Amino acid sequence: MLIELEGVTKIYNQGQINEVVALRDIDLRIKEHTLNCLRGASGCGKSTLLSIIGCVIQPTSGRTAIAGLQPARMPDRFLTVHRRRCIGFIFQNYNILPALTVRENITLPLVPLGLSRRAMAERVERLLQQFSIGHRGNFPAGRISGGELQRVAIARALVNDPPPSSWQTNPRPISTAV
Amino acid sequence: MSPVSDKVLRRPLHVLVLLLACLAAVHAVLYSHYRHRLAEYEARSDLRQIATAALGLSDLCIATEARYTRHPAASDAVVPFMDHPGAIEHFPTGSFWAPPIPGGIREVGK
Amino acid sequence: MNGGLTKHLNIIDYTLSSLWRRRARNASVLIVFAGVIFLVASFQFVTEALTETALDSLRTAPEITIQRLSAGRQTEVPLDYGEQVASIHGVREVVPRIWGYYFDEVTGANLTVIGVDLERMPLGEKLNLTLAEGEVPEPGASGWVLVGRSIKRIVESKGTAYLSLFRPDLSQASYAITGVFDAVTDVLTNDLIVMDIGDARDLFHISPAAATDLCVYVANLEEVPNIARKIAAALPDARVLTRSQISQTYQVVFGWRSGFASVCLLTALAAFVIFAWDKASGLSPEERREITILKILGWETSDILAVRFWEGALVAGGAFIAGCTGAYIHVAYFDASLFRSVMVGWSVIHPSLRLVPSLQVSTLLLIFCFTVLPYMAATVIPAWRSAIVPTDSALSGM
Repeated sequence: MLIELEGVTKIYNQGQINEVVALRDIDLRIKEHTLNCLRGASGCGKSTLLSIIGCVIQPTSGRTAIAGLQPARMPDRFLTVHRRRCIGFIFQNYNILPALTVRENITLPLVPLGLSRRAMAERVERLLQQFSIGHRGNFPAGRISGGELQRVAIARALVNDPPPSSWQTNPRPISTAV
Repeated sequence: MSPVSDKVLRRPLHVLVLLLACLAAVHAVLYSHYRHRLAEYEARSDLRQIATAALGLSDLCIATEARYTRHPAASDAVVPFMDHPGAIEHFPTGSFWAPPIPGGIREVGK
Repeated sequence: MNGGLTKHLNIIDYTLSSLWRRRARNASVLIVFAGVIFLVASFQFVTEALTETALDSLRTAPEITIQRLSAGRQTEVPLDYGEQVASIHGVREVVPRIWGYYFDEVTGANLTVIGVDLERMPLGEKLNLTLAEGEVPEPGASGWVLVGRSIKRIVESKGTAYLSLFRPDLSQASYAITGVFDAVTDVLTNDLIVMDIGDARDLFHISPAAATDLCVYVANLEEVPNIARKIAAALPDARVLTRSQISQTYQVVFGWRSGFASVCLLTALAAFVIFAWDKASGLSPEERREITILKILGWETSDILAVRFWEGALVAGGAFIAGCTGAYIHVAYFDASLFRSVMVGWSVIHPSLRLVPSLQVSTLLLIFCFTVLPYMAATVIPAWRSAIVPTDSALSGM
């Protein structure tokens, strides 16, 4: 199982007057090599669920296992490492840094990995070609069209795949769309 | 493998290193000149000491506009205001030179 | 290459490109900051160089100088005082001296006139070494002067071979210039007119039984404070000045307490407060957003802090290097020309200072601690505060 959730509950602002119960008692199992889609009405907790799967937030209660690890038992620092090894994000609003070029944006997740400049450039170049945005490589991300922006966001989510050889025992990255 | 142009591989760090190397070169030149001047200055310092001893000098000749900045050591903190009651200090050098230490020899050793 | 090192180099690369991206803002911060450091460092360099010159050059000043005060002003010392002082045990020699100011109405310059019996002064026989041209006349001669370079220039500009001065009754006294002091001693002798003590008495109409001050030399230097105290007790109306007091004066006379220095410091402080305010009032929403995105993309808190650290270090370090280098060049090669107007004021005579700023590690460290460190703290702390926020709460509002 790639993703396992058991009895996950998430309550925002617990105990306060604006308390919101976003998820209640969720069980979820997702296998490797599958493509899944989560649907639901606005405000029903889709983003919260994906954020929990993406190890961005912790559930209020319940057990989670993401790619073999239990985020609830990991300090923030290890979660960060886990996230960058195994999870790619595409946000609703893409969260691209507009001042950086397309190439720089896609390179961002690779910077703390300690790869050589050439290795980083080759990976980014391959994705740029793959998503037909090579000609936009040196454009500031704030100046490209919405469709291109979406492809930049996907390329960025996939750029740490495949993981460096030392991590090949790890599962393949999960892509999460938030 | 997709081709990677050399332009992409160029690191900003190299520019910084180049800049630092230039700075280091400039500073090396400045420093060697400083050593040279310092040696020259120290070599001639006995001439100044002879002049001080032979003429019994007490002060540096930097500001000559006012007595209390020409000879601060042989002066008092109140000297600038001595010319008439209610005088104000008006010499520009008075703002650069701090007043001499108050108290004369009568305080020495107390 | 080592992974950790490569990672750090990548982070520096990222920092450099983000500095370059905001180059207008960063360059303006750097320039203002360098300006502040330039001002502070110039002041520190110039005052240290002056203090050092003073302490070095005035090391041979008379051990004790006696002046007489009347109504708070300096007046003539009767030579009887000298006899009283000479009778104090431990006093080796008392040498009377005439010393005064002469205002030259043509140029508006204040000149210093010194009448001295060179035979009785220590190292008087070596004074020839300090002359660039001419020589000290034989003892007993009169009508001669040794002048500083500026006086020589003034006399030359008048086109006369003699130095003409007016006595108080407006009768004219002329002196032959027999020697000009070397440029090396400019910082001491630039405005000096040295003449025979008898000529000086004649010029200022001072009675032969008086002098303006007495230089006292003692047998044992350890005894100077004791002897000075004895003199002060014996001559209640005298100002007694010891060599160590002269040194002390010069240790503080160019200090940060002076009005100009305070203004410099206040300017620097104001500029710095503006920086700190800008930085400490938190990160801009864009910066905060950038930090959050980086965290989600797998950057550790330490990586983000490293970026901010390098950003601050490069801007502040660059400003520090530029400011200090500029200050050194300003002081060493331009004689601190920006400060000249406050250092010499309306003085007509300007010595060539030929300052050699002392490049002491302590000075640079002092400037560093007062400028770069606070800036670094102001850069890194807000970033640290926003980077340690868990992504959980950082994400809300996205």
